[in-house]
Amino acid sequence: MQIRMKCNCGEGNCSEWAIVDVQGVVEAQPSFQDRLQNLEIGVLCRPSSQEVYTLTIGYHELTGSKVPLKKPILVLKKTKQSGVDSDRENNCNVELHVVGVIRQRILFKTRPKALISKAKVEAKETQKSTI
Amino acid sequence: MDMDMDMDIPLPEELDLLESNARLLEDYPDPEAPEPYPYEDQEAPPAAQPPSSPDLQFDSEIQVIGQKRSRSVSPNGSLSETAELSEEKRCRTDESARATDEDWLRYSPPKGNESVVVEQGSFVREKMLSRYASEIDGECMPITAPNGDRVYARLDRLEGEERMKKLDVRANSDGLILEPINILFEKMDQEAFTKTLEASSKCQNVPDIPETPIVHEQLWVDKYTPNSFTELLSDEHTNRQVLLWLKQWDSSVFGSEICSTSDEVLSSLKRHSTVVQNQKPLDSKFQRTIGGPKWSNHRYRNSKSMDESGSSKSFQDILTRKVKHTGPPEQKILLLCGPPGLGKTTLAHVAARHCGYHVVEVNASDDRSTSTIESKILNVVEMNSIMSDSRPQCLVMDEIDGALSDGKGAVEVLLKMVSVEKKSDAGKENLVKERSGRRSSKKGHKKASLSRPVICICNDLYAPALRPLRQVAKVHIFVQPTVSRVVSRLKYICTREGMKVNAIALTALAEYTECDIRSCLNTLQFLNKKKEAVNVFDIGSQVVGRKDMSKNVLDIWKEVFQRKKAKAERKSHNSKPFEVNSLYSLVSSRGDYDLILDGIHENILQLNYHDPVMQKTVKCLNSLGVSDLLHQYIMRTQQNPLLVYLPPTAITVHQLVAQIQKPNIEWPRSYQRHRTMMAEKMDILNTWHYKIPPYIARNLSASSFVEDLISPLLYILSPPTIKPVALQLLSDKEKNDLAQLVSTMVSYSVTYKNMKSDMVPNSLRHEVADHLTLSFDPPICEFINFKDYTSNHYVLAPAVKQILVHEVEKQKILQVSIDRPLGNGSSSERPEFIEAGTSNAQSSKINHADAISVKNIQNESNVTKGRKNNANATIVSQNSHPRKGTADNMKLQNTGRMRMPSSGSFFDRFRKLNNKGFRSDDRTEQKEATLDKALHPLLFKFNEGFTNAVKRPVRIREFLL
Repeated sequence: MQIRMKCNCGEGNCSEWAIVDVQGVVEAQPSFQDRLQNLEIGVLCRPSSQEVYTLTIGYHELTGSKVPLKKPILVLKKTKQSGVDSDRENNCNVELHVVGVIRQRILFKTRPKALISKAKVEAKETQKSTI
Repeated sequence: MDMDMDMDIPLPEELDLLESNARLLEDYPDPEAPEPYPYEDQEAPPAAQPPSSPDLQFDSEIQVIGQKRSRSVSPNGSLSETAELSEEKRCRTDESARATDEDWLRYSPPKGNESVVVEQGSFVREKMLSRYASEIDGECMPITAPNGDRVYARLDRLEGEERMKKLDVRANSDGLILEPINILFEKMDQEAFTKTLEASSKCQNVPDIPETPIVHEQLWVDKYTPNSFTELLSDEHTNRQVLLWLKQWDSSVFGSEICSTSDEVLSSLKRHSTVVQNQKPLDSKFQRTIGGPKWSNHRYRNSKSMDESGSSKSFQDILTRKVKHTGPPEQKILLLCGPPGLGKTTLAHVAARHCGYHVVEVNASDDRSTSTIESKILNVVEMNSIMSDSRPQCLVMDEIDGALSDGKGAVEVLLKMVSVEKKSDAGKENLVKERSGRRSSKKGHKKASLSRPVICICNDLYAPALRPLRQVAKVHIFVQPTVSRVVSRLKYICTREGMKVNAIALTALAEYTECDIRSCLNTLQFLNKKKEAVNVFDIGSQVVGRKDMSKNVLDIWKEVFQRKKAKAERKSHNSKPFEVNSLYSLVSSRGDYDLILDGIHENILQLNYHDPVMQKTVKCLNSLGVSDLLHQYIMRTQQNPLLVYLPPTAITVHQLVAQIQKPNIEWPRSYQRHRTMMAEKMDILNTWHYKIPPYIARNLSASSFVEDLISPLLYILSPPTIKPVALQLLSDKEKNDLAQLVSTMVSYSVTYKNMKSDMVPNSLRHEVADHLTLSFDPPICEFINFKDYTSNHYVLAPAVKQILVHEVEKQKILQVSIDRPLGNGSSSERPEFIEAGTSNAQSSKINHADAISVKNIQNESNVTKGRKNNANATIVSQNSHPRKGTADNMKLQNTGRMRMPSSGSFFDRFRKLNNKGFRSDDRTEQKEATLDKALHPLLFKFNEGFTNAVKRPVRIREFLL
């Protein structure tokens, strides 16, 4: 079976995406269960010129590296055109738009490092000094 | 020349060889020596002639001229020849007027000279002389005498020309300036040359001086200082070596044998090693351009042969090589060392003077900081002296090992200069040798390179400050001269001084002072002054002044453990007191008693002395113990006068155990080793102490830590109840145990750490010696590593340790977050409780628990208060509460202890409180969590295991829901 897709971007110009591959689960705090929209998951950054990335989620810092995928993955967007030609074939009114291509993934497979914020440490020190 | 003849006496061939090194054949019998020096002679007659009135002068004038004419032919033959070449310029005036003394003529104002020259050899006649210009008709010229009288002389041209021819011969003899300027320069050169010639011959005539009677006050040591090379008492071989080394400098210091000056100068150069400085630039330049390449080719070979030449093969061979060798010697510093009074300084001075150097001595008494020494050396090394004494300088640094820091500075400067020189040399060799030219590269590094000989003198070659110098310098060790040689010299001096001493006494004296000639002479002079005779039998009691000198520590130990041979003992008649005395002075002059006694203590048991019932050993160790106590007491109370009682210990030991055979002495190390180990351990302990929260640590001193606490703590930290299984499989009780253990570890800030097992060699728990093992992070096992003590605590399985590491880490993180609002008290109450429960025998623990319980109450109230006051407690307000609380704690602590005397009931109460504390803890934890949530809406939960552990095909459909 042939599936037709639309690609709006030009030849070889599809926007590049990447997968963040994490060993574990990203969970929302119970108080935020109901409103997941627009929550910041974490900060992904590449601290040095090497292909080493850090992802900071909550008080964990993950360290990972970029790995090319064996087979690239296409990111598609499916739109249904309702109504007009409904009596003809069902297949026709579904359109697939290419959003991007994924060729790389950033893999975080090591145990996360716990971040203890500086402010807490300082607080502790001041307490010690008072005692 | 007397001396030169003397010098030939010992071994003429060798001396010839030395001289040939220099290529300046000093010892040639010089036929021209008696030649009268022209200026000397010329100056003599005018000095004899008193200045007289003009009238008288006129009469005597012709006579004077006649004298001069006759004289001038012989000495100044060469000059007159050259003078005739420039005949047309020459003219003459009559010296008639009052100009009898030649000085006046020679230095007459140039103005007069010019006028005469301009007027083409005019001649002034006597009769035309007048005091007044008006009395003379025709041309006239003024003539002024040195005393201010002025006369006018008539000029007569016609006659002048006639006279000129007649007086041709006379012209040069009277030394008028009418000579061409180059001849005058030549004369000046010659004058300077003759002066140096005189000076050098004077300096070589110095040996005669001792023979002449000298002022009585002078020290004999100074009086009979050897002034020539042959008078030196020191070892012949060493002397030669030093001289040879100095001679190697000749080429670079004095220039070379190739000379562009007149034959006369050349012959004189051959005669005398000292060369006038102002001729040097010419020579050296000349030589550098011509002889340069040759050196670089032969340099290496020559330096090799240099070293061997001391032991001397056929010196014909060496002579030919020497001619080619021109650079300074390979080792630019000479280091003379040896015991005092053997004449090291004297040798350096004599040898340097003999080679024509001006000796600059830097003594221990001079300022020897690095900066001053550097400038001094630079002065010596770089400058050609502009003093009247224009010999090149030679630096003699006496007692370079004297004061450590000072000597070090000097040594550093010298080393720097040597190293610079070496570098430049190395650089040169890399370049094209001939082209780059020695001169240019030398100029570049001129700033700091040594270009004059430096002789360093020290007593102790192995002084630590001299270690670097030893490697670059040529070292000569002075050996003691034979007693007979010293005695013969002493005898010679004694007879000269009219002192009657028999040879036996002198021998005894020399032996006593170990051939220290200086002290011998001083003693003799002293006795002579006192009109006493040298007492053969008891030299020690008579005043023998010796240079203050301390021996090496190793020598002292050797001295202590080794008995003198029986023969030597018999020789010194009253050996016992002498021995005691010498040992005492030996030890006390050295000073570091603790080191000396340490060495004795460590080496004494290695000796094999006859001691069947261990009596000697016991005695020795006893006395050592006493001295140790004494030393400790002195150190503590600073009663330094008591230090004099320390050396007798060494004497006692010597009396007891000294053997004839050579002892095998080792440097004492165990004390140092143990001290450093102790310091290391104390360091670890202290850092651990600081890491433990203060409310625990303040009750623990280092000694109580080590002596009381650690072994029980080890038992607590490794309970046998915990099974090495996964956390999920533990029962509730076990989980509780584990939690308690973890909190104990956290509160005592103990954890496990991967360590190589060989790093903890004596560790009791790691018998497995192959790979990384987990051991306590502050290595607390080490602290109780007492001799013959094994802590029998249960050793946890590695798996358990692994778990504990994680748990402790987790607990720490948790604690940090919990501690923030609550202070330290609540987080650590559990461990404290356990501590108190398990080790109830320790009173200190009870005190702890006491304090903690009180704290609990306090904290709880704090928390509740805080919650009531503001639900959204900020960090600041939360912090303030514990602060208040702890302040109260201090007060309550005391009262609390008084209130609860019985420990049993106290623990019950404590347990209850504890539970309450837990509850409050939980509540605060929740609150903390909400705060955290505000900060981090999403959290990451890590899944243990590997991503590739479970693989399952997934259809794309499942993604596209």
